Amino acid sequence: MSIVAGCDVGSLTSKAVIMKNGRIVGSHIIKSKPRPSDSADAAMDGAMAAAGVSKADIDYCIGTGYGREKIAFIDESVSEISCHGKGAHWLLPTARTVIDIGGQDCKTMKIDDNGQILKFTANDKCASGTGRFLEVMARVLGVSIDELGGFSRTARAPITLASTCTVWAQADVIKYLNSGVPIDDIGAGINTAMAARVAILVNAVKPEGDIFMTGGVAKNIGVVTTLEKLIGRTIKKARKADPQMAGAIGAALISGERVKGEG
Amino acid sequence: MRPEIREYNYDLLMGKTLRAAAMVPRGTSKETARTYGYIPYFKGIAKAFIDEGPPGITFLDLLATYYENILTAREQGKKIAATTFCNTPAILYAMDIVPATFEILTAIGCLVWKRGMFDYMDYSCEAGMPETSCSSQKGALGAFLAGLCESIDFVVCDTPGVCDTNANAFAFASAFLDKPFYQLNYPSTIGDDRSQKYHIDDYRAMVAFMETHSGKTLDYDRLANILREIDRQDALTAELEDMLMLVPTPVPPIYGLMTYAGRFCFAGHPIYTGLLESMVETARSRMAAGVPGLKSGDEKLRIFMCYIDHYTFDMNFYDYLGERGIAHTGSILARNFREGNKYVENLPDNSYRVDTSSPEAMFESLAQMNARMPMVRSIRGPYDQHGMWLEESLACANLYQADCIIYNGTPGCRNTWGMVKPYARDLEKYGFPVHIMYDDAFDDRVESWEASKERLDEFFHVRGLL
Amino acid sequence: MDIFYDAATRVASRSILDWKAAGKPVVGYTCSYTPAEIFHAAGILPVRLRGIETEGMEVGDTYFGPFICSFPKCILQLAGKGRFSFLDGAIITPGCDGMRRLDECWRKAGEDYEGIVPSYFYYFDVPHKAEDHGMKWYIEEIRLLIRGVEEHFQVTITDEKLRGAIRRFNDGRRLLSRLEAMRCEKDLRVSGTDAFAAIVAGTVMPRDDYTVVLEEWIDSLGKRADTLSEGKKRLMVVGSVSDEIDLFELIENTGKAIVVAENLCFGIRYEGNTIPEDDADPVEALAAHYLGSSVCPRMFGKYRERFELLKERIARTRVDGVVMQNIRFCDLHGAENALFERDLEAMGIPCLRVEREYGPHIDAGRMKLRINAFLERMGARGKTAAAI
Repeated sequence: MSIVAGCDVGSLTSKAVIMKNGRIVGSHIIKSKPRPSDSADAAMDGAMAAAGVSKADIDYCIGTGYGREKIAFIDESVSEISCHGKGAHWLLPTARTVIDIGGQDCKTMKIDDNGQILKFTANDKCASGTGRFLEVMARVLGVSIDELGGFSRTARAPITLASTCTVWAQADVIKYLNSGVPIDDIGAGINTAMAARVAILVNAVKPEGDIFMTGGVAKNIGVVTTLEKLIGRTIKKARKADPQMAGAIGAALISGERVKGEG
Repeated sequence: MRPEIREYNYDLLMGKTLRAAAMVPRGTSKETARTYGYIPYFKGIAKAFIDEGPPGITFLDLLATYYENILTAREQGKKIAATTFCNTPAILYAMDIVPATFEILTAIGCLVWKRGMFDYMDYSCEAGMPETSCSSQKGALGAFLAGLCESIDFVVCDTPGVCDTNANAFAFASAFLDKPFYQLNYPSTIGDDRSQKYHIDDYRAMVAFMETHSGKTLDYDRLANILREIDRQDALTAELEDMLMLVPTPVPPIYGLMTYAGRFCFAGHPIYTGLLESMVETARSRMAAGVPGLKSGDEKLRIFMCYIDHYTFDMNFYDYLGERGIAHTGSILARNFREGNKYVENLPDNSYRVDTSSPEAMFESLAQMNARMPMVRSIRGPYDQHGMWLEESLACANLYQADCIIYNGTPGCRNTWGMVKPYARDLEKYGFPVHIMYDDAFDDRVESWEASKERLDEFFHVRGLL
Repeated sequence: MDIFYDAATRVASRSILDWKAAGKPVVGYTCSYTPAEIFHAAGILPVRLRGIETEGMEVGDTYFGPFICSFPKCILQLAGKGRFSFLDGAIITPGCDGMRRLDECWRKAGEDYEGIVPSYFYYFDVPHKAEDHGMKWYIEEIRLLIRGVEEHFQVTITDEKLRGAIRRFNDGRRLLSRLEAMRCEKDLRVSGTDAFAAIVAGTVMPRDDYTVVLEEWIDSLGKRADTLSEGKKRLMVVGSVSDEIDLFELIENTGKAIVVAENLCFGIRYEGNTIPEDDADPVEALAAHYLGSSVCPRMFGKYRERFELLKERIARTRVDGVVMQNIRFCDLHGAENALFERDLEAMGIPCLRVEREYGPHIDAGRMKLRINAFLERMGARGKTAAAI
């Protein structure tokens, strides 16, 4: 029984997953450090500790994410797009359209019934459709990302936010706060602005089959429900594991394929 | 696109809304006041026009008619041409073709709905238009691309070389919807023999194209009537322009919008003449009574919008001007450059005349008039060249005694963002304080109106204007 | 190859400096619509203006507003920094709105930075259509340009000289067609990077030298035994202006792909066809080629025609996938790429559509990710254009 690993070094968080026989035996997520190699080490150490294995036990390890080229201990690097596709498929086998909103970009992918990428689009020329946008806004409001997500439900009159540019958006939020606009309305406006930008990308690939979200923003209920309204489809949830781990899971799965001589 | 947006076609929704708005003032004043209670969402925009009296009410009727023409084109056996605001519809009316002007259709949606045309703009991007392209076309374009408007029969535009992002939107519509396309394109100079001749050759080819695709021929008797109507319209506009020169001016800020929107929709058509007559009459009586055109009654400042106005929800821009006591002395859209207008005196190459003495003369009048439409007139060449944007802006700002100049456009406007900074600097050298707005005239998601307002107030304050 | 790389990667390349040292004039032009033969016939070196080697953007950003494509900004930046001091003239064309505004921005910058505007600064008014009166206008513009060049540089450009220039440039076109044919083969002897460097070099090198070096190089390729295409995906690069060798290098350094074709305005796209050499009026011959065979979306309303040409090239070059790039704010290519992608994907041809910045590769990491993901996607599918 081979033990394989996947390590996803992102701009905001780094994740590592160790799998055995197609099941996760250990995983870990940390806030990314300035150096990708340090992030990879810390994430892997945590995952190995959770799995009770050492580096020597691991037969194959794939690195992914923007910092993947800097990871010394990996056997191969694979694009996070391919890894997210595989990971999404594992998390939700019926998924055919995957939306990944990460720290610094937003991607949509169409996958086949093996999790292979059929098509993808990405939008990352600025922060306003990414996790970074929510982080910045949450900080301005003085709430956690989870709390920010909850505002879409409690808002009565969501504001229209200047959403093309994060800098303008920040200025707007501060102004609304100072004018006494309810924080729920501001938070809902932020979620809507984010969801609207993502919706364009999603609709552009003409979603088919089940739609699934990976990446940290998948946990923001406000963005997800608003996005569902905008694209007119429900976004399925998976309970197998944290969707934020999709990239690392996918990397581990591809490692498994390599060991079996399939890839 | 949100599924609920697909329930009704855009042109149907907006046409019905505008017609209903045009009917609101038909009752007694009590009935009208009562009606407002039933339309909380539209009350602001409806009142903005209805409170202007006959001109505003006539304008609502004009806009409703514009949409209704599109909606009934098929049953009347007419073709629909997608076109741009700088291409006069006079020729289309002469050929019994219905215009669907993207920028008008976008602007109206932005003024009337709180969400503006966001859904349709975003749909354009989903369909493949770059996010960075001009929102003025993107709104209406999205509705057409999504099949949420009457279908277009062919596309004509005259913006290549003047505003490529505009022309690109129409070329995209043509390629995406697989419809015939004709582009007029203008040389970079105006008034010289070569370009004058080119205007006519190009216009002739466009008419031939439209004859082929509409099945109708250009009727010169009809054209003669249209040109005579334009004569009347130009005379009325000239009178409004004269009144705009007064300090304080009896012309309200909103008249500029109504003048140019009316022209882009119905040049040569009696309905526009009716609107102009109404505006002139009201302005004249104000002038006679010594009443300024501003609701506040006190004209504190005169601005010249060197490019376009701002068209987001509820006439917020025009309200702002009214509140602050700011007179609007025009924009690049406002002036027709008909020979004889005072502002044309130093820019003779920029003007056109109307000559109905023969088919050739009529054709030339129309071709040269079209070449003097906004943007194609003075944006076609380097801004500091003779007759181009700088000269034109200075002529207007000086004549209308503007205290300052404001640039408002969209992030999609490649041709102005390509030189607005040196242009503004040159205007400052001529003694005009200049403010560049970084917002989008049709999309408050770029910069919220609150932020735009703040920056305007800051500019007026810092430069000691207000 | 070194000569080509030098010419392709340096603004003030060896060949330009040598030409200047010999006391001969250099005129830059911004866009593929300018018939370079005119200058060759006048003993002037025509040089395509490019934005490589740009550092910083203070000058570019001062005159151009924020919502403008980085290509003209880079050119202005270089001009402002005196990097174009070798120019005796510049021809600005309305290739697109961003590029036509280079006229006033450069002149205005010239009021602030002394000596950066070449003494011969000319606006060449190219129409957006090639039919009838459009072509007529363009022919007149060429004649006006010729007169202007004659007056300013005190030369005479006879029809004979023009024909001679056309012949010389045709030599180059024929050679580039040979190169193109080689790149269509199943077994490749030349990398996309090398080919592109050779193509770009032709836009800045004296034609006499270029043709000689190009012929030698292409002959040497013919003798190469090794093939470069083993296990690699064949790609075509399409879209906004690009003269960036590093973009091609980035794609080919993955070790999994080779660029066998491009549909860019630097390149075989317009070079391929020869111009008739014996026409009664060489100006008309030039016009028919430069305006008539253009495949740029600035010629509005010709999407169908351009798509047919693209399809034909894809089939001929046997590409496995198409990389479509547009510079942010390039709406013309941005929109057209979307239409191409829609229509090519419908035919089963994988496409990667990506928006980027022009210039010193500030987003190399992003591009690498996209290219790699695209190659991984193609690897899994195993379907080629030839199979369609």
